[in-house]
Amino acid sequence: MKLYYFSEMPHHEFPDEEGDKYPSLRLEFPNRFFDREKAAANYQRYLTEYEFADQAGFAGLMINEHHSTPSCVNVGVNMTAAVLGRTTRQAKILLLGNILPIEDNPVRMAEQLAMADLISGGRVLSGFVRGVGVETWWSNSNPVHNRERFEECHDLILKCWTEPGPFRWEGRHYHFRHVNPWCLPLQKPHPPIWIPGTASPETAVWAGRRGYTYVPFLVPFEIARELFEFYRQGAAEVGRAVTPDNLGFLICAVTAETKAKAIEAGRHFVWRMGPTLRAPVEWFAPVGMRSRAGTQFALRARPRSLSSMSYEELLDGQFIVAGTPDEVIDRFARVQRELGVGHLLLEAQESRMDHPTTMRSIELMGTKVIPAVTRL
Amino acid sequence: MISVGGIGVHAWVGGQGDPLLVLHGAGGNRGWTRWLAQVSERFTVWAPTHPGFERSDDADWMDGIDDLARFYLWFIETAKLGRPHVLGHSIGGWTAAEMATMSPGSIDRIVLVAPVGLKPETGEILDIFYFSPAQLLTMMVHDSKTVPEWQELFGRPLTPAEIEAATRNREMAARLTWKPYMYNPRLAHFLPRVTNPTLIVWGREDRAVPVECGEQYRRGLPNATLTVLERCGHLPPIEQPDAFARLVLDFLGKDSRR
Repeated sequence: MKLYYFSEMPHHEFPDEEGDKYPSLRLEFPNRFFDREKAAANYQRYLTEYEFADQAGFAGLMINEHHSTPSCVNVGVNMTAAVLGRTTRQAKILLLGNILPIEDNPVRMAEQLAMADLISGGRVLSGFVRGVGVETWWSNSNPVHNRERFEECHDLILKCWTEPGPFRWEGRHYHFRHVNPWCLPLQKPHPPIWIPGTASPETAVWAGRRGYTYVPFLVPFEIARELFEFYRQGAAEVGRAVTPDNLGFLICAVTAETKAKAIEAGRHFVWRMGPTLRAPVEWFAPVGMRSRAGTQFALRARPRSLSSMSYEELLDGQFIVAGTPDEVIDRFARVQRELGVGHLLLEAQESRMDHPTTMRSIELMGTKVIPAVTRL
Repeated sequence: MISVGGIGVHAWVGGQGDPLLVLHGAGGNRGWTRWLAQVSERFTVWAPTHPGFERSDDADWMDGIDDLARFYLWFIETAKLGRPHVLGHSIGGWTAAEMATMSPGSIDRIVLVAPVGLKPETGEILDIFYFSPAQLLTMMVHDSKTVPEWQELFGRPLTPAEIEAATRNREMAARLTWKPYMYNPRLAHFLPRVTNPTLIVWGREDRAVPVECGEQYRRGLPNATLTVLERCGHLPPIEQPDAFARLVLDFLGKDSRR
């Protein structure tokens, strides 16, 4: 099983009591609380941690994108990919990912991803996501078109990568008269495509049909297994075999020399589960964004919201893993046994987890955990 | 059910007299409420449920209120309404205004009740999709205690089927109005074409659409008057049904058949 390092690049640089005054940290928490100097320093710090994760032997560096939220100030996943493409050497660069439904120019996205792939020497893993509702508000994109735009944007990017230009694209949501990108990915026919899942059966089936790597995020094991079943249904429809390489899983994880230190560090993940997910339901799931099946599944997948769980419950539920290297190896082995995944994505830094703690965790993952887990 | 262009729409039909087409707002078709019963004593009321709403068929290819306006011009022909009066509330009012700019000769008198459709010169149109239906309901009216049919219309929890219908309503409303949000930047340029006698009705305390938009419509339409109801929010037909029905009957009763 391969391990991936991931930080949301949080900007938790404001007094919590200020954030508590607003219905959510997303969309309406005023950006006067954005600290420019600290943000500048943090980008350097976060990139250093990614570079160290590459040196430590992580198979991949996962980056993501959100908007209008201090939980993630990585606001341009393709920009980060270009930077890491130049400053890292070995690890894959997993963009998980670009938010397709809110993109107005899939051709530009195809070009940017191709450029990142070229700069990185063909290390891009190109994840495509539907995004959470907050990004729909941020971009003023109609949520009832979310899935249609996701699929059409995907189709056009793939066409840019795989069919010779020039060509014309007249779709339902995208219209381009002259498509002929003079930038194509190094990997042939194109970078591998990854798809995350939290609650949408349709997305799992769709990814299965195409053989894309499918990664449930922060769901209970039994829900991940159900989503993998939908994935297998999609794969079976087209006679595609499913291997561990098609399946991944994402959890939060930190390690330290002692259990006490790790447990202390792991507390920082609670911010990501709690305060940053607090918002009216319409902000995360605006009308029409989810199908009825997706809505029903979401209710079952999350009988209790992550934000309502205590740290201890999050540890018990395996949403957060925090322990010594041996304990962490044990937990990761359990994930592998339970789910049969080939990729384990570790959200490995959050909130105010400091640089030395983060670096030490990366180092211990590299020296102790990765060698053991790679054999699983 | 009436089929127009292959789309089946449910319609409440009743009353006697000249035809009056009634177009509902984003909240859906509330049926035979008190004001409608009064108006139907002198007019034959046709109150269809928009495509994509409640029991009417889907029309997921529609992209904006102009599509709905073309649809209802076709509806008038299919249902053989001749040249009906048209009354529209909120997005239904916007639809009526678009219909009038497209084909003023197809309709007689027009009643616009707190219509969206124009970009407010001052203030903003409430983002109805940003709030829960429960929050929204309290913002829609000035004072729920003075609404005669409140208990009947909103007083009990919704059944699963009604929740599904309300969800469909919101989805279709989002499909039709998302961007630019609740207005057509070109509509104002076409309003001068509409010389039909027009009554614009607004609630002084409308928190959803600024009452100044009523003044913008009045300025844009050559033959329009604006009546503002005091102590009334965004739902005049429900909040003040008797006064509203009287206004409508007085206006439509005037003899101005062209």
